[in-house]
Amino acid sequence: MEAMLEIAGVVTAYGKIEALKGVSLSANRGRITCLLGPNGAGKTTLMMTTAGVLKPRQGSIKLEGNELVGLSPARIVGNGVALVPENRLVFPQMSVRENLLAGAYQRNDSGEVAADVEQMYARFPRLKERREQLAGTLSGGEQQMLAVARALMSRPRLLLMDEPSLGLAPIVVKEIFGIIAELNREGVTIFLVEQNAHLALQVAHHFYLMEQGRVTFSGNPGELAEDEVIKRAYLGTRRSAG
Amino acid sequence: MIPFIQTTLDGLMVGSSYGLLALGFALIFGVMRRLNLSYGPSIMVGAYLGTLLYIQFGAPTYVVAIVAVAGSVMAGVYVERLCFAPLGVGAGVASMVSSFAIWMQLEQASLLMLPRHSYPFPSLTSSELLSLGPLVVRPDYLIMLAAMLAITAALHVLLYRTRFGLGLRAIVENSVAASLSGIDVQSTMLKAFALASAIGGVAGFLVLSANQQVTAMLGMWATLKGLIAMMIGGLGSIPGAIVGGLVLGVIEVHSQTLFGPQVRDLAAYGVLFVLLVLRPGGIFGTTAISESVGHRGGDRWTTT
Repeated sequence: MEAMLEIAGVVTAYGKIEALKGVSLSANRGRITCLLGPNGAGKTTLMMTTAGVLKPRQGSIKLEGNELVGLSPARIVGNGVALVPENRLVFPQMSVRENLLAGAYQRNDSGEVAADVEQMYARFPRLKERREQLAGTLSGGEQQMLAVARALMSRPRLLLMDEPSLGLAPIVVKEIFGIIAELNREGVTIFLVEQNAHLALQVAHHFYLMEQGRVTFSGNPGELAEDEVIKRAYLGTRRSAG
Repeated sequence: MIPFIQTTLDGLMVGSSYGLLALGFALIFGVMRRLNLSYGPSIMVGAYLGTLLYIQFGAPTYVVAIVAVAGSVMAGVYVERLCFAPLGVGAGVASMVSSFAIWMQLEQASLLMLPRHSYPFPSLTSSELLSLGPLVVRPDYLIMLAAMLAITAALHVLLYRTRFGLGLRAIVENSVAASLSGIDVQSTMLKAFALASAIGGVAGFLVLSANQQVTAMLGMWATLKGLIAMMIGGLGSIPGAIVGGLVLGVIEVHSQTLFGPQVRDLAAYGVLFVLLVLRPGGIFGTTAISESVGHRGGDRWTTT
């Protein structure tokens, strides 16, 4: 299995506090890789480091062999990586359509971009209904769909998603995960951070557990009983052992 | 009634130059949420370069205009690279303080070029008044008003009809999300800074050619007028900058007519004070400053 994203020995710190203490993992092409772990484990930090928003102190992050560390977030998008950030971060004062166009900022094929906007409307009919509405007026679920669609507008080969289910109603979460599986079937490689271990294990091909800035377990769903995964993901191994 | 209308009209004309100054300020503040106190001194550098060419070599007016705008842009880019680009989005105070230090530097550099307190500046038109029925206007003020309208319209098109404008607005809303969408935040900010300085340069040139002289107070004057007009209109608001400038101009000219020139600035500060007490966000600031300014989208994810 070919690794699309290879993260090796990444250390990221906020001032003196190391949030990532040497993280190594990989995400395989065409697969859904999921990262689970308790709050404060460093999952979002890892996503932000991969997307180039945070600069690591050490380590390397390679996309198909090309180093991403040191590139600006915009260059990383240009390399085919898009992040759907935690809390969605849509542009609230811009219309749904403008949010989508912002996602295609680097593309010069305006005809294709217009076709992709239509494709997003077909995939997310709710966005089509609200295309001229300001993104800030959308519901949480609609904003999440918009954030996913905005990320897809850059035509990424690797889609990073940071807690797409956060704060959403169960039925909306199910819809979002349906979309994740669908995108993956269409060939998009997905690297997902998720709190909802039950759902994550349903779609993931491979998963990692992270705790206090380190990867503590790597496996395939089914290798470890789900309740054990959940216990470790939420409580952490240290606390459950003690 | 006619004198009142005449005074108001004069105020609007003067205010259009304040509006232009505030426009540049608002553009920088809107995008970066940081105050560039060196905005006026940057304009001064451009104006002084133009003046130098004018008095030393008798450069024609259009050359002076081009040099004034280009010099302002150069100085603005210098300020951005030195005070804004190296400091993160969160370092608003550090940028402001360092831009204050650069203010002194730019002002001293200008005074080394031309050490006297004032110099002549080429005028754009004849000083003959145009009459509009019972009212009269100065042609150079009319040009100022036209320039303000044209630049505002052009800025609107740029912000709402172009890809650059889309990127700029995205950065205003959330610079982290903008960078994750593939927008090069650093270079877009630099371009916005250069653009704002160019608008300031145009404003500076038009005001000086109307006054037909340039003084060492230019830097201070431009920063103050632009800042006050922006604060009246609403921090970082483009329509607010224009309205704030016009309001400031009308207040100043009316108070000068009523109470004399000594009261002119006093009245402007008084109105600013009352306005900020009643409406801290300015006329177009729909929310309080803390909400539009203190809340950078970029910080949101780090706090969770």
